[in-house]
Amino acid sequence: METNFNQPQRQSSIGILVMFVDSLQKFARAFWPIILVSLFKVDNLSKLYVFLAIIGAIVVVGVIAYLRYLNFTFYIDDVNDEFIVNDGVINKTKTTIQLNKIQQVNIHQNLIQRLIGVYALSVDTAGSDKKEGNIKAISHPLALALKSKLLDNENLKTVVSDENTVEVQETIPTSETHPFLKIKLTSLFKIGITSNYVKSIGLILTFFFTIIENLHQIGKEDVIDEDKIETAISNYPAIYAILVFVVVMFTIIFLINIVRTIVKYFNFSIAKQKGSLLLSYGLINTESTILKPEKVQIVNISRNYFQKKLNVLEIKIKQATSDEKKQKKNLIEIPGCNSQERDEILKLLFNQLPERGVMMRPNFRKLVFSIFLTIILPLTGFFIFGTKVDAIVFQYSHFAVFYTVFLLLIHLFGFRNYRLFVSDNHIIKQSGAWDVDNEIIEIKKIQAITTSQLFWHKNLNIGSLTLHTAGGNLSFYLGEYNTIKEYVNLWLYEIETSDSNWI
Amino acid sequence: MEEFTNEVIDTKQLPRYEEVQLTPLHPKYWKVALINFSIVFVIIGIALTLLWFNKEEFSDIGLYFAITYFIVLLFSLFINRIAFKKKAYAFRNHDVIYRSGIISTNTMVIPYNRVQHVALHEGFVSRIFGLAKVEIFTAGGSSSDLEIPGIEKEEAENIKQLLMGKIQKQL
Repeated sequence: METNFNQPQRQSSIGILVMFVDSLQKFARAFWPIILVSLFKVDNLSKLYVFLAIIGAIVVVGVIAYLRYLNFTFYIDDVNDEFIVNDGVINKTKTTIQLNKIQQVNIHQNLIQRLIGVYALSVDTAGSDKKEGNIKAISHPLALALKSKLLDNENLKTVVSDENTVEVQETIPTSETHPFLKIKLTSLFKIGITSNYVKSIGLILTFFFTIIENLHQIGKEDVIDEDKIETAISNYPAIYAILVFVVVMFTIIFLINIVRTIVKYFNFSIAKQKGSLLLSYGLINTESTILKPEKVQIVNISRNYFQKKLNVLEIKIKQATSDEKKQKKNLIEIPGCNSQERDEILKLLFNQLPERGVMMRPNFRKLVFSIFLTIILPLTGFFIFGTKVDAIVFQYSHFAVFYTVFLLLIHLFGFRNYRLFVSDNHIIKQSGAWDVDNEIIEIKKIQAITTSQLFWHKNLNIGSLTLHTAGGNLSFYLGEYNTIKEYVNLWLYEIETSDSNWI
Repeated sequence: MEEFTNEVIDTKQLPRYEEVQLTPLHPKYWKVALINFSIVFVIIGIALTLLWFNKEEFSDIGLYFAITYFIVLLFSLFINRIAFKKKAYAFRNHDVIYRSGIISTNTMVIPYNRVQHVALHEGFVSRIFGLAKVEIFTAGGSSSDLEIPGIEKEEAENIKQLLMGKIQKQL
């Protein structure tokens, strides 16, 4: 079925419901203080008024949703090659997106959309940081058709420019995408128990403090009785309390991690589609993203000791962005592949498997410097404070010992893993103490190169290197400066003699 | 098919960016830097003096403040001078090189075929001295953009034209 998008058309009629819930959410977000107050003061007001107000609000929201539905149209202007979205009830907005500017078309579903069986489609351009052309309710076949239509345009362009490929293009059957990689639930499980500890601890702490703060605000802090907790703790030896605390903490972290990973990445599948990759995942909200290999700037493969034993790893892909704020959003994560799957993905992204090539090590001064900065300086401060100001801090000296040992281990392993590998087409930087990251960039995607040297390193032949790409920087500190300079000259030569488009 | 050769690159024979003779900033730019510098310090000085005369608590420690102020002033002047001395640039056939930095010497190289656009900026003080700043933007975001201050207006205009020509040729 060939769908025609040249005429302005509305969303699926069931989309009124999505609009309704969306408007209701916005309404609730705007008026929640009033709603909250009227809920608490409900005794003072007549219940009838409250009831009428709620009914009134729902009717108003319903009308707004209906008007929004009526006024929302979208179509593709074939003459100017533009995708046009009309939106707005009182303030009308007409968003025009040039088809060749479209970077990504995402199809996703939130809970309500999933319940009524429609999809949201959003168009992502390089220009602005918010998603443009957001269609909230569209049936699945229509979404796929529109998506292929929006992205097809780019193919047409290449066909026009290169006439030889016309027939080839046409003979390729536009087959339904078949996933070439599916991430198993067990892999997600493995990733869940082996990563993001720090992030989860942060989450727990924020959660905890928000609850306490909220309890304070409504004046009900006595729900948590500090005395009770203190007596409960003091009944047991300190070691025991700490042990219990650690065990409980880890259990919670594991649970949160597993649930989060599975909810976010459930049924993660990657399919090839006209030279780009189609990723889709999610348990509650289904996300689907298109990834074009030529937009990929930095690929980071990270794996820690446990993950190595379990043969899982995480891939993060940074794409070209126009501004730094967007960088986070444009990061694509592929959790839980094994080495073989990793190689296949890399082959797709780079057309070949990046080799590790020549290895560069950092100077031992890098280790000395980081130890000085994070261990010796704080410890000196600690001792000066203890002797000159207040000796009470020495009671906590076992923390200082723990801190020193911990950081020393991190620095030692970090230094051991800190390497730069240079091959003909790729540069790989390996770093990290526990999670070992391998960042891969292509030499032809380098935008600019900075070398730097501290003035006291001039005679030691030590210097640093920063490679700037459209997806972020890659730095290697305190390497052998002559070698670095030699490579920089070679890379500059390669970049400047090639006329390939960088992006 | 065109004649195709694929010879081994002798990395020792490649042109070396680190041996390029760099052009220092225009001497007049030091005056611009000095004027900008004095504006900042005059404002801070006025604020401190006002504090000294109006607040009782400050009158005792005012002298220390004055001493600290002058030390900071001299130190910043020194730093500014080094920064000025260190800045230098060069435009090669295929790329632009800019050196800067106080404690560490940073050398940035941007190939012309990676430049997105070029802009010319004239500051208020710079304009009095007939100087301009050339700004070079790449797709790599703010970290890989380049600003070369203290170039004579006419020369800056030429540089911009040169870069625009190079970019256009690429397209």
